[in-house]
Amino acid sequence: MLVRRSFQEELDQLRLQVELMGVKVDHNLERLRVVLADGDEVAAAAAVACDDEIDAMNVSLTERCYELLVREGPVASDLRFIVSVLRILSELERIGDLALRVVKLNPERRLWSSTAVTFDILVSMGEVAVEAYRDALRAWSAQDLELATDLATRVRVMDLHYERLTAELLRLRGDDAVRIATATLIAGRSLERIADHAAIIGARLRYLLTGDPDHLSAEVR
Amino acid sequence: MPDPTTTTTEAPVTDPTSATPGLHLDVRGSTPGGATVFDVRDTSVYYGDFRAVRDVNLTVKQHQITAFIGPSGCGKSTMLRCFNRMNDLIDTARVEGQISYHGVDLYDPAVNPVEVRRRIGMVFQKPNPFPKSIYENVAYGPKVAGAKGDMDEIVERALRGAALWDEVKDRLKESGMSLSGGQQQRLCIARAIATDPEVLLMDEPCSALDPIATGRIEDLMLEIKQQFTIIIVTHNMQQAARVSDRTAFFTTEVNEESDHRTGMLVEFAETDKIFSNPDDERTENYVTGRFG
Repeated sequence: MLVRRSFQEELDQLRLQVELMGVKVDHNLERLRVVLADGDEVAAAAAVACDDEIDAMNVSLTERCYELLVREGPVASDLRFIVSVLRILSELERIGDLALRVVKLNPERRLWSSTAVTFDILVSMGEVAVEAYRDALRAWSAQDLELATDLATRVRVMDLHYERLTAELLRLRGDDAVRIATATLIAGRSLERIADHAAIIGARLRYLLTGDPDHLSAEVR
Repeated sequence: MPDPTTTTTEAPVTDPTSATPGLHLDVRGSTPGGATVFDVRDTSVYYGDFRAVRDVNLTVKQHQITAFIGPSGCGKSTMLRCFNRMNDLIDTARVEGQISYHGVDLYDPAVNPVEVRRRIGMVFQKPNPFPKSIYENVAYGPKVAGAKGDMDEIVERALRGAALWDEVKDRLKESGMSLSGGQQQRLCIARAIATDPEVLLMDEPCSALDPIATGRIEDLMLEIKQQFTIIIVTHNMQQAARVSDRTAFFTTEVNEESDHRTGMLVEFAETDKIFSNPDDERTENYVTGRFG
């Protein structure tokens, strides 16, 4: 006899709300890409407002998880699900913050784009970060173990970009070199971290779906 | 016939040393820690023609707490009672397969069931002290078993072992029935360990107790497992998760034709595994409360 139907419904609802929060983060990553490419100020303002919503969802869903832990005493896959949601919420919130950090550098955009080589690398890093994040969101929505594994184990193109970016910035000369390097490095580092957090979502999903605690070690930063 | 809901000390006691010399059961200390105490092989239990539990295979390790969990009627209590031959007290009960205790077949006709029950004590769901003094409740078993030595010391040791001494040392002559439910259950544990068994079988020992008394019994179990090997049947899965080292999950299968329910062992593993990532979907469904 199937029992605890309402608990199952709450877990299903929680999964969908995490997905919804993930979609909001995705919107802000899209805005980040627009801001990065052409400095759209409307998109930048929208990103700030959206980040407040992401933060509010994080608080509300975290509280929901605590409530379920206290009330239901979950074990096995239920416990893995709820503790994984807690971790993924925090990853999503962090990705949102990192996206906003780049967006808030918009007034400095003149500095990024002043050097074609580093700017191109930065745009490529933005593409890689958004792609990794979208894979994470898809993996979560479909509870897709294959995609989660790919995310957690894929060759880190982002690391290569970041190394190249650093090397190119060290070549800069001139009065604005330090300011350009600083602004670009902050943006580049944020994009690199977004991809890292997406990989952590993949690792956490692997743990959730397989129950193998070895996958948790991939989260150690 | 003695009341089957009493502890082992109330079993019909004849000469506890009458087991065949080749089948000595006093083997405590002869095996290293973590050694196998019980080895259950292909064991089924019948009541007449009705098979109550089938084909159980598991091992119980020394100084560990092994929990049996599962829905009502899954055979976990039936299986527990096999370990000290309590099913012998039911005329129609029959055990097939083999249950070895330190390599000795428990059901070998040469093994004295009274000796088995002295070595393998039992604590039941409902605390059941005798209507006698606290002292007499504990001293009864050792006296009947012909214990040598200072009885006061034996009683004190058992009461200390059951974490009850400090609460009752000044009123040992008062009735055991005057104690609270939790104290009565610890008195029953003292009574069970007074005969110096190796194994304690506990059949839902906390189901009649409040959370505080339950917590005390659980603490006690964790303390005394250094001296005893414990098997506990519990419906409280958090209790199994808290106290046990290994957990066996039993369930029932229904015969469509006869509508008979037979208990079976589904999964037996480290408790952490059973409650975090069990192999069998039926275990997962049970521990997460999906199916009852």
